[in-house]
Parts: sequence; C-alpha cells; structure tokens
Amino acid sequence: MSSRKLFSMLMSLVILASLLVGCQPAAPQAPAAPPTQAPAAQEPAAPAPAEKPAEIVIGVYEPMSGAQAAGGQQTMQGVNLAYEQKKEVLGVPIKMVLVDNRSDKAEAATAMTRLINQEKAIAVVGSYGSSNSMAGGEVSEKAGIPVMGCSPTNPLVTQGKHYYFRACFIDPFQGRVMAKYAVENGIKKVAIIQNISQDYSVGLAAFFKQSWNELTGSMDGIVSETSYQDGDQDFTAQLGAIGDAEAIYAPGYFGDAALLIKQAREMGFKGLFMGSDAWEAPELVSIGGPATEGAVFSSHYSAEAATTPASKPFVEAFQAKYNEVPSAMAALGYDAYMLVIDAIERANSFDPKAIRDAMAATKDFPGVTGSITINENGDAVKDAVVLVVKDGEFKYLSTVKP
Amino acid sequence: MKKRRNLILTLAALILFGGFLYYAQHTFNPYILRILNLCAVFTIFAVTFNLIFGYTGQFSLGHAGFAAVGAYVAALLTMSAAQKSANFFLKPIISPLANVEIPFLPALLLAGLFASVVGSLVAWPALRLRGDYLAIATLGFSEIIRILLVNLQPITNGALGLKGIPSYTNLYWSWGAALVCIFIIKSLINTSYGRAMSAIRDDEVAAEALGVSLFKHKMMAFAVSAFFVGVAGALMANLISTIDPKVFLFFLTYQIVGITVMGGMGSLTGSTIAAILYTVFLEALRPIESPFTIGPLNIPGIPGMRMVLFSILLLTVILFYRRGLMGTNEFSWDWLIGLFHRKDTALAAPTGGAEK
Repeated sequence: MSSRKLFSMLMSLVILASLLVGCQPAAPQAPAAPPTQAPAAQEPAAPAPAEKPAEIVIGVYEPMSGAQAAGGQQTMQGVNLAYEQKKEVLGVPIKMVLVDNRSDKAEAATAMTRLINQEKAIAVVGSYGSSNSMAGGEVSEKAGIPVMGCSPTNPLVTQGKHYYFRACFIDPFQGRVMAKYAVENGIKKVAIIQNISQDYSVGLAAFFKQSWNELTGSMDGIVSETSYQDGDQDFTAQLGAIGDAEAIYAPGYFGDAALLIKQAREMGFKGLFMGSDAWEAPELVSIGGPATEGAVFSSHYSAEAATTPASKPFVEAFQAKYNEVPSAMAALGYDAYMLVIDAIERANSFDPKAIRDAMAATKDFPGVTGSITINENGDAVKDAVVLVVKDGEFKYLSTVKP
Repeated sequence: MKKRRNLILTLAALILFGGFLYYAQHTFNPYILRILNLCAVFTIFAVTFNLIFGYTGQFSLGHAGFAAVGAYVAALLTMSAAQKSANFFLKPIISPLANVEIPFLPALLLAGLFASVVGSLVAWPALRLRGDYLAIATLGFSEIIRILLVNLQPITNGALGLKGIPSYTNLYWSWGAALVCIFIIKSLINTSYGRAMSAIRDDEVAAEALGVSLFKHKMMAFAVSAFFVGVAGALMANLISTIDPKVFLFFLTYQIVGITVMGGMGSLTGSTIAAILYTVFLEALRPIESPFTIGPLNIPGIPGMRMVLFSILLLTVILFYRRGLMGTNEFSWDWLIGLFHRKDTALAAPTGGAEK
C-alpha cells in the first residue's frame, strides 16, 4: 500500500520535472508547410535593418479546434498558400509558426504571449473570431508587436489599439451594405432575428438598424426584432412574430440560418432572406435545401468578380492546391499574410515598430479581396460584395463601395 | 516540539515561496508568468470544488456560474469610465455603474462576496436535492447565470463582452489568493464544521441522526466555496483582460471536475498538484501539434492533438489510480520527514501542516 503511494508521488514528481523541462524555450519547430529550409538558426537575433538575421518568425494564431475550428481551418488554407508563395522577405527566410487558440479567450491570450515571447514573432496574423482577436490584442498591444487580423469584423477589435489592424471590413459597414440593398430593392418592412449569444450577430443587427434609420428616416420599417440563443433549433416563435415583413435579416452563422430559412418557408413566408458573411458555407445550402434559393448576403469577396489583378492568379493557385473554390475566409487569410509581408518590405526593416508604421500606411494594396487601404482606426476600407444563392451555389450579385 | 518544528518549517517554506514569486515576477517572461497565474486560478477552482464535492460530498456543477459572477463584478468595478463607455457602444451602461472605479483589493473581495451570495441563493433550494439531482439543478443554475449575462445588456454588455479590463493580476495577487484560500479551507476542514461535512459525505442519514445540521453545513461549504470561486473568476478577468459569457460555458466546470478527480477527492494537495499539472501540460504539449519527424516517420501537425494526449493521461490516472494522484492524503512535514527516515507509518497521516 505505502509503496504504491510512494510510487504515485514519485511519478507526479517525474511528471513535474518533465514539465519544467518542457517549459524551456521550445526546440525549433518546423513550419506548418513541408520544412525545406535548414533549421540552422534558432535564435533570431534582434532585428536590425543593417544586419540580416538568419530567419524571421511570423506568428499565426487561429482557432484550429473548438467551436470555431471550421473558420480557422478555412483561413489557414489561404495563409498556407500565401506562405508557400512568399517564403522570404528582404532576402531573409520566413519561419511561420501556427498556434491553436482553441476558440477560447484565455487560450487566445496565452497563444499570443507564446508567439511573442517564446517564438519571438515580429508580426502576427489572426484570428478568426472577434472574441479571440480581442483577447490576443490586449497582449500584442502591450508587447508592441503588430498584428494583422484576417476576419475579425467587430469594431472593438482595433478600437484603441495601435498595433492591431485587419484585412476585412467591419460590421457597421457590413450592416449598412444589407440595409442599403434592402432599401434599393424597394423593401419597406424588415424583421430582424439575431443570435443574442454571438457578439457578431448582435452587432450586425444593431448596425443594420442604425443604417436603416439613416436611409429611410425612421424605424417604422423594422416590424419585429427577436432573438435566439446558440444551439436553438426551433425558430417558430421568432418567425411567428414577423407579421407582414417582406424580408428577414438574420445575421447569424450558417447553421442557424439554414434551419431558420427552411422553417420560415415551411410556415409560408414568401419574402427575401438577408444575411451576412458567416452565411458563406456550403452547409447553408446542404442543410437548408431548396428553401435557401434566392437568399442574399454580404461577403468579403467572390471568386467570380475578380476585383484586382491579384484575384485571378490566387483563385487558380488555390484550385490547383486544394481542388476547390476559395472561401472568403481563405482569401482573407491570404491577404492578411501578404499585407504583413508588404509592410515588412515597405518598412525595409524587421523592427516591429517600423512594420507597424508601414502597416498603418497601407494604401491601395492589391489584395485578392479587393483594393485595401488601412484607415486611421486600423481597419481596411474596401468594397463588399453581395452574393445570392442560385441553383444551390453562391453567385455574385453586386459590389458595394464603402 | 513537533508542532513548533512544523510551524517553523511552514514559515520557512512560505518565505521561500514568496522569494520565488518575487524572483519569478521580475525575471520570467510574460508567457511563463501567464501560465503561472493561470495555475493559481485553477488551483483555487480545484480546491474549492474539492470542499464541496471531496469533503462535503455534494456533487455541484455550478462553478462556471460562480466564476462568471466574480469575473463580471470585478471587471465592472475596476474598469475606468472611459473604457466602459467605449465598451457599451450598442446600449449604454446603467448610470450608477458607469463611473464606479475602485482599487483591486476591494473589487476582489466584493467579487467574492457577490459570488458567495449567489452561491447561497442557488444552494438554498438546490440543497434539498441529493446526488445526481443536485448536479442537474446546479448545472441549470450555472446556465441561468450565463443566459442572464447574455441578456442583461445594459449591465454586462451581453454577448459583446467586456474588454480593456485593467490587468492587475500578477503572481502576488494570484498566488496570494490561492494560499489564503488553501489555508482557510484547510482550517475549516480541521474544525468541527469540517468534521461534520465529512460525516455528511460519508452518510447523510447517519450524520443527521447524530445531530449534524445538514442544511447549515452544506450551506457553509457552498458559501465559502463560491466566495473563493468568485475571487478566482475576478483574478482570471483581470488576467486575460477581456471576458464574455462564452468564457464561462459548462466546459469550464468540466475542466475543474477533471482536475479535482485527477488530484484526488478529499486532498487539497492533490487538487493543487493537478491544477498546476493541467495548466502547464496544456502549454508544454503544444510542440506535438506542429509537424515533427521521428526517424523515417514524418508526422504532420494536427491541431487538437494535445487534448487527445491529455485525455489519455487523464484516463490513465483514473484507471490506475482510481483515487487520484493523492487519494485523500495531504502533504505534511511529518510525512516528508518520515520519508527521509524510511518510516512507512508517516504516510497514512491525513492531517498536519497543510500549506503547500
């Protein structure tokens, strides 16, 4: 009995000891893509413009597991492609380090700290999911490391942050895009159904209302405003409240949206469905079926409408690598990585502060999702596209300028 | 004689530990510091869960809810007025809260008190239930708290969460709170109240027949436990400096239950060791998620691998050490010295100097 206790104690001690070893600065990790460069340099020297370091580290933090894993993985497709095309900047090889933030706030903050303090990243890309980005942003701000967000659209992400930028537009703009679309298409009455447990959904609904008020001069057109929670499967109560609305604006994730659309059609609703960039997933159509036909939503980019010279080669390279049409998240991941490289090139330096200044000065960068200019808040000013579901596929409908 | 020796040893250990914290706070990089802080937070979570489940035998799943209350109270009390108005851009915050900004210590205590009050309110009706029923009732309450946080937008900012919470938490605060928590709970266990709690755990009917007030002692366990969970929640909020209701999903309670079971129910030492192991392991296992090569094998990086490995580890512990790493044993100086004297008798001593 006692010897067993002793053994268990010893074992825990051994585990503890091994952990302490594990805490040491990690051995050089191979990058996410097939490792080609020699793992010669382990200590990236303090980057000075005059002398060239052996390699530089660009960190990526994305939700690769957890609730938002699908979005994180789509984004990584684009980031990996960009990394394959650009493995060097200013003649110095890049080491890309991906850290999973598990769709969790505490984990995202730790992931960012790890990238900065352990991996010595000089710039970071990420993250899908605004709440992850907000947690990481607090850390990078203090450390003074520039971050290029790929798809966090919540305005709070870059607000008050000098080192956080993003390649995507923000929710107020996206809300306005759809309000404008509705008004221009002669819709007089709209019902809003929001997911109250998603900051993303709550924000978009609020910005849609605000723009509606500005465009029509009153709130009379909003006939109902109802909410649901994460995991809800039954939307009959919310749909029962829409009255004589001609359109439903439901800025939630594709899974909820697909069920909602299906149930609305079953209840006899004949009007228009409007949504947001989170609708853009094949599951919208596969779950919602023919009911989703004609639904419109705002998004970042469409493979059909090649907006800049960079779009076409990207779509071709992407299809060659993954054998599928790139999603908006992948395109934004690609752009975010390329924006970082562009900033380093223009700064002509590996100093995080200089890279930050170059990022802030980004103007008319030819990204695959459109021409990107970073404004004074660190947000990208660029076009949005409106997509429509036609024959079970997402088709390009129109472009809305900022 | 022995008592005095133990007291001196305890004091010496505390001073040593304080010295280590001082050294760590000034020399370690923010990454290691963050992990050490999280260790302390999870230690408090595990130790308090142990008080309710390990010592009093009440299977409560309300920890995430209590932590949420503490975190939100502390966050709202320590954020500056400017930060609040920036956060509440959809719906303004209600007026008395908008301009409140108090130092960290009173905020921590208030967070604990609030959580304690909520914990007692939850416990009041729920404690009529036993076993699985209690678990389901407390789980429900914890979910109610989360749903309230989502819907009370003028107070909690709803799903948008709060950001820019001042990051007051450092090693002194986190480990200070953890030590106080362990000390108070250990002291409580050694009093007649603690003995009564153990009696309730072993057999409620027998305990009641002996004149132990079930309700009083269960309530006490809940209130004390919820207080420290609230404090830990507050420490967590001021550590990661941004919170939203999704941080306090049921998954958090799962983690706490896992840690406590792994450490051993009825052992504060076990809880502490397991909490530290858990937090450190999650980070130390990161390298296995990136691609690596073993001889001719080229293994691609699979995100989520460390969770798999961690689950296997948890399974191993449960299968081979059913009572957890420490069972119901505690660390004590007598035991440690006995170890050097190769006296097996000292191992069984369940009481003694507690501070680890």
